[in-house]
Amino acid sequence: MDFGFVLNPSSTVDLGKVDTTLYDRLARRCPDVKTCMACGSCSATCSAAQYSGMSVRKVLLGLQRGNDVSAMLSNCMLCGKCTMVCPRGINTRNLILTLCRIHDGEGSK
Amino acid sequence: MTDRIASGFHPFVLPFLVGMLFVLSYCLIGMVRILFQLPREDRRRFYLSLINPKTALKNVKDIFLNCLIHVRLWKRNPLLGYMHSSIAFGWFMLIVLGHLEVFLFVPGRAKLLYYPIFFNYFVAESDTTLKGALLFFLMDFFLLMVLSGIALAVIKRVRSRLFGMRHTTRSSALDLVGMYALWLIFPLRLLAESLTAHISGGSFLTLPPNWLALRIFGYEIHMLPAWWAYSAALCVFMCVLPFTRYMHIPAEMLLIPLRNAGLKIRNIHKGFAKVEVLSCPGCGVCIDACPMSASRANLKNCTVYLNRQLRRGNKRRINQISDKCLLCGKCEAVCQVGVQGPELRVAHRSSRRYGINQDYSNVVPSVPQGGHKLLYFSGCMTQLTPRISKAVISVLDKAGVDYEWMDKEGGLCCGRPMMMAGRKEQAEQLVRGNTRLILGSGADILLVNCPICYRIFKEEYDLPGVRIVHHAEFFDELAASGALTMAPGKENICYHDPCELGRGCGVYEEPRRLLSQCGGLVKAGHEKSESICCGGSLGSLTLSYSEREAITRNSYADLVVSDPDLVATACPLCLATFSRYADRPVRDLAEIVDKATD
Amino acid sequence: MKPAVAIIGGGIAGMEAARQLLLLGYTPIMIEKSDHLGGHVGEWHCLFPDMSPAADLVENLKNGIKGATVFLETGIAFINRIRDTYNVMLDNGISIPCQAVLFATGYELFDAAKKEEYGYGIYNHVVTNRDLELWFGGREDARFPAKPSTIGFVHCVGSRDIKAGNMQCSKVCCMTAIKQAIEMKEKFPKAEIYCFYMDLRLFGKKYEDFYIKAQRDHGIHFIRGRVSEVGENYDGTLQIKAEDTLNGKPLKLNLDLLVLMAGMVCGKDNAKLTAGLRMGLDTDGFLRSRDNIYGVTDSNRRGVFFAGACTGTKTIPETISEARAAVLGIHNYLMK
Repeated sequence: MDFGFVLNPSSTVDLGKVDTTLYDRLARRCPDVKTCMACGSCSATCSAAQYSGMSVRKVLLGLQRGNDVSAMLSNCMLCGKCTMVCPRGINTRNLILTLCRIHDGEGSK
Repeated sequence: MTDRIASGFHPFVLPFLVGMLFVLSYCLIGMVRILFQLPREDRRRFYLSLINPKTALKNVKDIFLNCLIHVRLWKRNPLLGYMHSSIAFGWFMLIVLGHLEVFLFVPGRAKLLYYPIFFNYFVAESDTTLKGALLFFLMDFFLLMVLSGIALAVIKRVRSRLFGMRHTTRSSALDLVGMYALWLIFPLRLLAESLTAHISGGSFLTLPPNWLALRIFGYEIHMLPAWWAYSAALCVFMCVLPFTRYMHIPAEMLLIPLRNAGLKIRNIHKGFAKVEVLSCPGCGVCIDACPMSASRANLKNCTVYLNRQLRRGNKRRINQISDKCLLCGKCEAVCQVGVQGPELRVAHRSSRRYGINQDYSNVVPSVPQGGHKLLYFSGCMTQLTPRISKAVISVLDKAGVDYEWMDKEGGLCCGRPMMMAGRKEQAEQLVRGNTRLILGSGADILLVNCPICYRIFKEEYDLPGVRIVHHAEFFDELAASGALTMAPGKENICYHDPCELGRGCGVYEEPRRLLSQCGGLVKAGHEKSESICCGGSLGSLTLSYSEREAITRNSYADLVVSDPDLVATACPLCLATFSRYADRPVRDLAEIVDKATD
Repeated sequence: MKPAVAIIGGGIAGMEAARQLLLLGYTPIMIEKSDHLGGHVGEWHCLFPDMSPAADLVENLKNGIKGATVFLETGIAFINRIRDTYNVMLDNGISIPCQAVLFATGYELFDAAKKEEYGYGIYNHVVTNRDLELWFGGREDARFPAKPSTIGFVHCVGSRDIKAGNMQCSKVCCMTAIKQAIEMKEKFPKAEIYCFYMDLRLFGKKYEDFYIKAQRDHGIHFIRGRVSEVGENYDGTLQIKAEDTLNGKPLKLNLDLLVLMAGMVCGKDNAKLTAGLRMGLDTDGFLRSRDNIYGVTDSNRRGVFFAGACTGTKTIPETISEARAAVLGIHNYLMK
C-alpha cells in the first residue's frame, strides 16, 4: 500500500531495548573495559584510525548502544599504541582480539 | 661364573617384562604416529638428514652429551648437572655393563631381555677372575653413582633452595608415583644384589652389606622378596613413564634428530611440537627464569606448565598460559632440552578462531619520495617516545647520512605484533605492504630503532639489495668508520638488552661497544641472553597493567644493582615501560650517542 | 613559655597556621626545605577568581609571621614521639622539642617530562603551567615564541592517569587552564587558543563565570579529547594529535606553543617524613587524614595535624581554611 510517504526508523536509541549481549560477553572476559572514560587517547593515537575510523572508545560506546562496530576493527594492526596511552590502563589490545574472537567466532555458538 | 638356575627363568622377572614391553611398544607406536603427523616435506627432510653422515654424527653426539651427560645443565648448575648425569649416565652404564656380563659369561642367555637386569640372581661365582672382579667393581661403582644422584634428588625435593632454585615445579600425582618408583629402583637393586652377593659375588658396595647381614642375623635372609620388589619398582616406573614427565627420556632422543633436521613447529598438537612438549623434563628451570615469576599468581604460566597442560589437553588453561606470555624468550634460552616456549605459544594462538579477520586492502599508506641512500623506519611505538626519533635524526645529520624518514607521519605497522598474536595471514599482508614501499624507494639501507620491527624485518621480510640495520649496529659502524666521534661523559651507564634485539636477533655487543665510548659501562644483575624482560612486551595479550608493573619493578631492580647514573636501552617500549617506575633517567642509546657527539 | 608547635613546610598553609598560632600566643617553629617561603604559590603570577597577584598573598602572610622562628633550607632527619611531646630532628643537627606537629608539606608538581609523548624537554615549544606563570611574572624563557598564532593547552597532564602513577584529579588545573588561556588571549589577541580536556571540572566560586567569559569574550576553543601525541614539524612548530570525541573523529593541529597542565601529585618524601610516627600513607600517596569528612586536618596520632595539600589536592581558599582549622585543633589539644 502506498501512503505517499515512508516511515524512517527512529534515530532515537531506546536504551532499555538495546541488545548489549556482545558488550556483556566482552566485559565478562575483559572487566577493565568498564572503566573507559572516553578520553579519546586511543583513537587519536591509532595507526589504523585514518583508514577504518577505528576507535576503541567508539567501539566500546557502540557496543553499549547497539551499533555494529565490526567494520571499525577491520584495519586494526594490533600495534599496541592504544594500550600504551590509555590513562585507565585498559588492555585495549586484548579487548580488540577478544572482540574479534567472540564476534561470530570462537565461543559464539 | 656359571648359570645357577637351569631354566634361566624365575617369575619375579615378569613385572619387569610387562613394563618393558609396554613402554617399548608405546614409544614405538608413538614415534610412528608422530612421524606420520609431520607434513610430507618435513618427513622427507627428516629421513634425508638421518642418512646424511654429518647430521647423523651430530645426532649421536648431541644425544650422548645432552641425554646422558646433560652438558647444558652442568654449565648452568653443576649440582643439578651432576644429579641428572649421575642417574642417566650411571643407569646407562649399568645397562651396558649388564649386557657385557651376559655376553662374556653366559652368552647363551644373551637373547633374554631380562637377563642383564637380574644377572646377579641367575649366576653363581665359580672362580675369581680379574675380568670378573673388574666388572663387578664397575657395576658397583655405577650403582653408587646412581644412588648418589638419587640421594641428591631426595634432598632437592625437600630443600630446592640448596640447588639455587627459588621455585620448582609442582608435581602431578602420576609424576609423584613415577618419581617414588624411580627413587626405589636402585636402593632395591642394591638390597637384592647384596643379599645375593655370597652366591653371585660382588664388589665394594654389595659384599659388605652381605657380610654384615650374615653377622647381625646369623642366618641367610631370603633374597627373593628383594628381587620381586626390584622388578616391581621397575614395572611401576615403566608403566607410568609415558604419562609422567619421565617421558622426556625417550622423547628427547627423537627431538634431537628432528631438530637437527631443521624442522619447525607448525601445528601445536602434532608432530614436532608434540615431541617438544613430551621432551620437557619438568625441571622447572624456566619458572625462576620467567619474568612473570615476579608475582606468585603467575608462577603457573611458564613453559613447564604449558607443556603439562598441552599433554593433558586442558584447553582453558592452554589458552590462558599461551595468551599471557610476554614471548621474551628467556625460558627457551635457559631450557636444557631447548623447548621453544614462545614458538609453541604463537602456534597455539594461531590455532584460535576469529569472527573478524583484519584485511588491509583498503589501506593506502603514504609513499616515501625515494632517491635517498637510507630509509629510516621509526615504527609505531616511537611516535610515543619522540625523544628517540629526534636523537636518531640528529645523529644521522651529524654523520652526514643521506636519509629519508619514511613513517614520519605514521605508516603501516611492521607486522610483528600481529605475528606475535598468532595472526600470520594478517601480518603477511602488512609485510607485503611495507615491502612494496621499501623496495619502491630504492634505498640501500633500512634503519630501524625499534627491536620489535627489526626482528620481523630480519625474519620475515624479503628485501633484496636492502640492508636491514638497527641503530645500535648502524651507529656502531659509523663510530668505527670515524663518521661519529664521541666524547665520553662521566656517567655510569647500565644497558638493558631488549628481548627482541638480544635473544631475538643476537645483537649484544654493538650497543655495549657504543655505550662504553659514551661513559662508564656497568653491569646489570642479568645480562645478554639472561636479561629480564621489562614487562612491556607486546608478546603478552592478557597481562594486565598491574601485573606488568610487578614485572617491570622486578626487572628494573635487577638492572640497577650496580647503581648506575642512567639506564640505557635500545627499544622504545622498554624505554617507556621503565620510565614509569625508574628512580633515575632512562635513555635510548640514540640519545646517549647524540649527547656524546655534541 | 607558651607551648611550641613545629610546622613542617613554609608554603601558604604553614604560614597561615604560623600566623594564627602567633595570634593565639603559641610559639610556632617553621621548617622549610627551600630557600624561601611561599611554596608553589610564590611562583604563581595571578590567582583566580579575582586575578589578584599571588605575590600580595605571600607578602601578607610573611608579614603576619614576623616573630616566628623560621629555618630555611632545612630538611627533617626524623620525627619521633617522646611521651606526650615530639622531637623534630633537623638535618643540620638541631633538635626541636615541641608539643604538637603540623604537617603543611603540600604537594609536588608532576614532572611533565614523564609523559614522554608530549615531548616536554625535547621539543622547543612545549612548556608547563608553571613555566607560563613564571614567564608571566617576567622570567626570560626562550621557549615562548614572540608572536604565537596558535596555542594549545593540555589538561590533566599526569593526573587521572594510571600510567603516570596518579589516579586523582588535580582539581585546580581546569580552572588554571582557563585562566591562563584568557591571560594569553589578552597578551596575543590574534592567537587562536585551544583547550584539550577530558572533563571540565569547574566547581568553585566564580569558576563557571570564567568558563563563560573564555567562550564568549575570548573565543577560546574547548575540545573534548585528550592529546595523545605531539610531533615536531621541520620548521620547529608542533603538531598534536587528539580525538575530537564530540565529533567522533581524530584531529590534528599545528601549534606554536603547547602548555601542559601538570597536576598536583603527592610529595615524594611523605613516607620518609612520617616513618618515625608510623602514621601510614593513604592509597594515593598523600598523608592520611583521620577522617575524610570530619577530621581532614587530624591525623590518627594525637598531637599531629595536617593543613593544605599534603592530604590531597586543594585550592588556595581550602588550604587557608584548613590551616585555620588545624590551628584550632592544635589549640584545643594543647588546652587539655
